[in-house]
Amino acid sequence: MTDAAVEVEDLVKIFPAPGGEELRAVDGISFTVHVGEIFGILGPNGAGKTTTLEIVEGLREPTSGRTAVLGLDSRRDRAAMKELIGVQLQASAYFDNLTLTEILDLFGSFYPRAFPPAGLLERVGLLEKQRARIKELSGGQAHRFSIVAALVNDPEVVFLDEPTTGLDPQARRNLWDLVRAIRSEGKTVVMTTHYMEEAEELCDRVAIVDHGRLRALDTPLGLVNALPDAYRIVFSSERPLDRSELAGLPGVHGVRVSLNGTASYELAVGQAQQPLEAFVGWAARNGVIAGDLRVLPATLEDVFLSLTGRALRD
Amino acid sequence: MILLWKLYKRWRRRREAEASLPVVDGPSGTRPTGRPLPKLFVASLKMLVRDRRTMIYALAVPILFTVIFGVQDFNGATHVKLTAVRPAQATAFAQRIVAGLERDSAFRVTPTANLAAAQKQLRDAKTDAVVVVPPTPHHALVAYYKPDSSNLNFTLSSLSRFVDAANLRLAGISSPQLRLAERSVEATDTNYYDFLLPGLVAMAVMNLSILGVAIGVTRFREQQILRRMLATPLPPSKFLVAQITTRLLISLVQAGIILALGVFAFGGHIHGDPAWVFLFVVLGNLVFVNIGFTIAGRAKNADSAQALSQLISLPMLFLSGVFFQTSGALGQIVRVLPLSPLVTGMRKITLNGESITQTGSQLGVLAAWVVLSFLIARRNFRFDDAGERRAEPRPGLRSLLSRAD
Repeated sequence: MTDAAVEVEDLVKIFPAPGGEELRAVDGISFTVHVGEIFGILGPNGAGKTTTLEIVEGLREPTSGRTAVLGLDSRRDRAAMKELIGVQLQASAYFDNLTLTEILDLFGSFYPRAFPPAGLLERVGLLEKQRARIKELSGGQAHRFSIVAALVNDPEVVFLDEPTTGLDPQARRNLWDLVRAIRSEGKTVVMTTHYMEEAEELCDRVAIVDHGRLRALDTPLGLVNALPDAYRIVFSSERPLDRSELAGLPGVHGVRVSLNGTASYELAVGQAQQPLEAFVGWAARNGVIAGDLRVLPATLEDVFLSLTGRALRD
Repeated sequence: MILLWKLYKRWRRRREAEASLPVVDGPSGTRPTGRPLPKLFVASLKMLVRDRRTMIYALAVPILFTVIFGVQDFNGATHVKLTAVRPAQATAFAQRIVAGLERDSAFRVTPTANLAAAQKQLRDAKTDAVVVVPPTPHHALVAYYKPDSSNLNFTLSSLSRFVDAANLRLAGISSPQLRLAERSVEATDTNYYDFLLPGLVAMAVMNLSILGVAIGVTRFREQQILRRMLATPLPPSKFLVAQITTRLLISLVQAGIILALGVFAFGGHIHGDPAWVFLFVVLGNLVFVNIGFTIAGRAKNADSAQALSQLISLPMLFLSGVFFQTSGALGQIVRVLPLSPLVTGMRKITLNGESITQTGSQLGVLAAWVVLSFLIARRNFRFDDAGERRAEPRPGLRSLLSRAD
């Protein structure tokens, strides 16, 4: 048994675009997902996240490169591979005119062994909805159902494509708990998202993908710490301050000012202690009262910005 | 039907045998599952029966047509309501004419003296014609008619026949040398309703399969359900088999309901062996299912699938002889459309009582359509979504089927 749950090697997928051009949806991506981790693929819409997943799941043919799940090639060993994976495409991807129980029973019959529907529904608190149809469920319930339907065959590796898109924060947190519970059973979870707080909160490791290329791959903390400006010193001041003086403080790499009501300032710094001491000393000498003074770590949003030069949700 | 019942019994027996085995939970609580095909078949059937749109197209509309046409009287008018206006002076000649009209079984005569009142009755469609009886010979028998009357031809021809017969009687000829004897060219005596019944069966089968498959499968693809199933080990061919066999079953039920309703409730006639009608239903259903899959492969969404389906099925409905025979060059062209041999073949059996061996040419054309439409469907139908990235070469049905097991 290999430690690699998913292997992606030099994956390229080219779509012919109108006008004889070509769209390189996936442009040479390689990564390995370890058994038992929650692996996030983070990127804006159109970055190639879904295409990558679909090739791994055996739903699309790659232009070149190789993917495998638990050592089984996505193309050569497709049938055997499909028995080991669970796939969630989107919340509504199930039959309208069947009840939840009937859908789970039907999808279970596609595999040699499967969980009885009642236990699965109970697990996500949908047992009393067992005779309901998908369209009678709330958004959060439909998402929970689509995830539990991906577990019907007790898969080793679960693929979730933007599992929380369109959900309110409470429903999103509920789903995060569900994903963590799946991981705690020893399963591997591979998920795409364009919510950086989701990747930060939920994923053991995050691959940042943009324009079909892998920009970075590490734990959320590792990605942030690799930034030259891993922290921000944030404060407000009633008195206008001299920017160049702030920028001249030791360890400060940049200054951002936003002026709504009282001016608030952001100092980009590589580490917290030394610049903070320098700033506090400077403020005391100049009689500056720094209101609301905080040191904040950078986020994946900042990581994405520094890697691609643009914000995640442009 | 018997075959299906036997298959069902066999499946039940296997199910019971499986159920009596001790269920062994896997280490994680999983259980061995049943066979996917029977479950897919039952699930597909449930989905169809629960889908309101399918049921309206497949059952409600054809049954409604069967009832609406059933309560119409297609045997034609049996008599003419006639208002006879007597002349002011009651001559013997006029009385002979009125008496002759009253004796004629084709007429129900109401005598009157008031022409204006009679004409008003005619305009109000309370009578079929108004005749002004002449007082003496060598005057015309004036007949007023309403040009939009439904049995105008019958009215005028009956009057014309009466005048001819009256002239012979007046000339003293009691046994004419030439008589007319009417014989139907068909072996059996049938009316328009009998003609219509097989057409309604064909319409029901076509709507279920072309519209039902095109819209239903397109919606599956739009909702990524087809792709979701591709992510399981289920061979796609099994999904297709379930889709086709459930529609076969429903189309047989449709045909059974329409024919039974027509015959037992509204006095329609089936002269041949109904079993052969069901054979035609099966063949026609296969052609239309293939057309439905072709449309589903081409349509961007369910709306365009519906539009495309109607573009194909509506002309066939009116040209291929469901409601009336198409004549002339157009009739020659539409004879090769798949609905035509279906309707014609079924009519040969139900109207003329012919056996299946006498419908060889219809069976041949239909069988050719089964093959041709399957090849077209295989070229055009895709499991994958056509919308998002159209230009992408998608896996065809051929590769899906070959990779199936």
